[in-house]
Amino acid sequence: MTYELNVAHLYGDLMNTYGDVGNILALNYYAKQMDVHLNVKVVSLEEDFHADDYDLAFFGGGQDFEQTIVSQDIQTKKAELTKFIESGGPLLAICGGFQLLGHYYIGADGEKLPGIGALDHYTLAQDHNRFIGNIVIKNQETGETYHGFENHQGRTFLGTDERPLGNVVSGKGNNGEDGTEGAIYKNVYCSYFHGPILTRNGDIAKHLLVAALKRKFPTADFSQQEALPIPATF
Amino acid sequence: MSLRSGFATFAGRSSYWFLHTFLHGGSSLPGKITLKLDPNILKSLGANYDVIVITGTNGKTLTTALTVSVLGQKYPSILTNPTGSNMEQGIVTTFLNAKRPKTGRPIAVLEVDEANVIKVTKYIQPKAFVFTNIFRDQMDRYGEIYTTYQKILDGVALAPNATIIANGDSPIFNSKELPNPIQYYGFDDQPDGDFKAKPNTDGVLCPVCEHILHYHSLTYSNQGKYFCPNCGFHRPELTYRLTKLGEQTPTSSTFDLDGHSYTIGVGGTYNIYNALAAYAVGRFLEVSPDQISQAFTANERVFGRQEVIDVDGKQVTIILVKNPVGLDQVLHMIGTDTHQFSLVGLLNANYADGIDTSWIWDGDFEQLADLDIPTVITGGERYKDITFRLKVAGIPDSRHIVEPDLEKVVEQIKQVPTERVYVLATYTAMLQMRKILAAKGYIKEGLGV
Repeated sequence: MTYELNVAHLYGDLMNTYGDVGNILALNYYAKQMDVHLNVKVVSLEEDFHADDYDLAFFGGGQDFEQTIVSQDIQTKKAELTKFIESGGPLLAICGGFQLLGHYYIGADGEKLPGIGALDHYTLAQDHNRFIGNIVIKNQETGETYHGFENHQGRTFLGTDERPLGNVVSGKGNNGEDGTEGAIYKNVYCSYFHGPILTRNGDIAKHLLVAALKRKFPTADFSQQEALPIPATF
Repeated sequence: MSLRSGFATFAGRSSYWFLHTFLHGGSSLPGKITLKLDPNILKSLGANYDVIVITGTNGKTLTTALTVSVLGQKYPSILTNPTGSNMEQGIVTTFLNAKRPKTGRPIAVLEVDEANVIKVTKYIQPKAFVFTNIFRDQMDRYGEIYTTYQKILDGVALAPNATIIANGDSPIFNSKELPNPIQYYGFDDQPDGDFKAKPNTDGVLCPVCEHILHYHSLTYSNQGKYFCPNCGFHRPELTYRLTKLGEQTPTSSTFDLDGHSYTIGVGGTYNIYNALAAYAVGRFLEVSPDQISQAFTANERVFGRQEVIDVDGKQVTIILVKNPVGLDQVLHMIGTDTHQFSLVGLLNANYADGIDTSWIWDGDFEQLADLDIPTVITGGERYKDITFRLKVAGIPDSRHIVEPDLEKVVEQIKQVPTERVYVLATYTAMLQMRKILAAKGYIKEGLGV
């Protein structure tokens, strides 16, 4: 392979429900087709995350208990994660990972748990209800349609400098109210989608990989990578 | 028995007789009728039994069958519930359907769904509980592992004197202080090393100090001789130990338990855990090692031995898969086959399968790339999902046939270059496949295993 990218799998041993690891597998699958080798490393509790060490990051969802623990530990990585995000580092965050990049979320017992506030959203809970089912959204800028499966109790509300990943065509989305699903901020993509998201929506995998390549190798020509056809898988 | 219970029992038994005689059915309806007439019916029905409750995510059915077989070596009268009837109504029907024992106090070995433990203990004080394991299961239905364990414990709280016989290799069963006497079983055949579970494993946080657990030895998933390097929390002392692991094939396993050698006629490390659980119950109720060995070898039928279906010369084995840990274990088991085989993956996403297919990505299909499998077929209602999963796992297109239609899958199976074929299918896909095979005359109608 001509290119190499270092990928941080944030709390991969704790935040890994609903097939989240499939996103890493899908990234790898498309990376190979782009002549890119991925070095994936799990960065977990009491381990340092240095923004400069990584070219791409993935942050999955977890069970309530694990997410509570991660909510505490991630505060020690707040500065470096924020630096990574602000400097254009591509990051995919799903479900719990999406929530923890924002200001706070409400846990299973009604307690308010902190995120890192790197993105400007917050997450409330709903009583005795979850949004569960297949979901379809459309990104207005690219015209791309994304397919997923949502299963979340949290209701997330986006901040002013975030765009949704898409508008809900069918399903519930971020909060069941405003028709948004997920978030985009700089090169950060957030979503509640399982499926997992990159296995059904290879276009997003391509966006992440191309962004990482351009950022790491600013003078190289990636038009071939950008032209990689992504056949429908769903 | 009160007059009300007596009447309710009569009504239930009559309905069972009617259903059984005229409709060839009747597994939960009689229980439903009886429960309606007397909601407390289990109290009088179960009062005369020593009850063993078997619960957990995987392995309930086989552990129950094996336990019945083991206890049958010593005790004359053992009642059990048929496969799948592990909710309250099915359990009531089981008792209604029981013949009265001639001598002694009978034993009831009951497979009970995790959330239904409390519905049993509300009325019956079991002699023992068996906890097999708690794994990530179809999460759109069951929720998280901690919630599942709490449901079991809510039931156990009503029976504080019952002995708990638990899988000692599973950290969650050592996470809460309980008043009950507890005995643990587990694997103790490896020298101590220092390992971590694979990154994509559930339940690896120390329940005391919330650091990541390490292992002196691991069997699979998060099971093994765990310890916490931070606070010293560790696997409890085992009462029943697997002391040596011998040869494993898809159809047999040999191993030593507390120094005695045993063989079971079914493959898979997960089934050794089931045998170990049944052994523990047997030893708890003073069945001798020789008797247990006899039970393991004498009665192959209790293993629900994987049925091999002859499809025009192809030896086809259909295996149900429903969650990632079970799937990994099945993949590992078929990998022990010394003959070359073809593989079929059938995925549906109806309610009984789990409507979220994400779980297939938690299954370690990547291990297939190491096996020399000449033909892989993917199909079922969600064939696109399973097809892409296997593509990503490294199955080359040249060996991969995509065929959504199960009728045509059967035709494709006849063309594969190997004699052996393993069909991994989710629940409704398995039923559909069996129906087609029955219509073509390869099997008799019905669920079989």
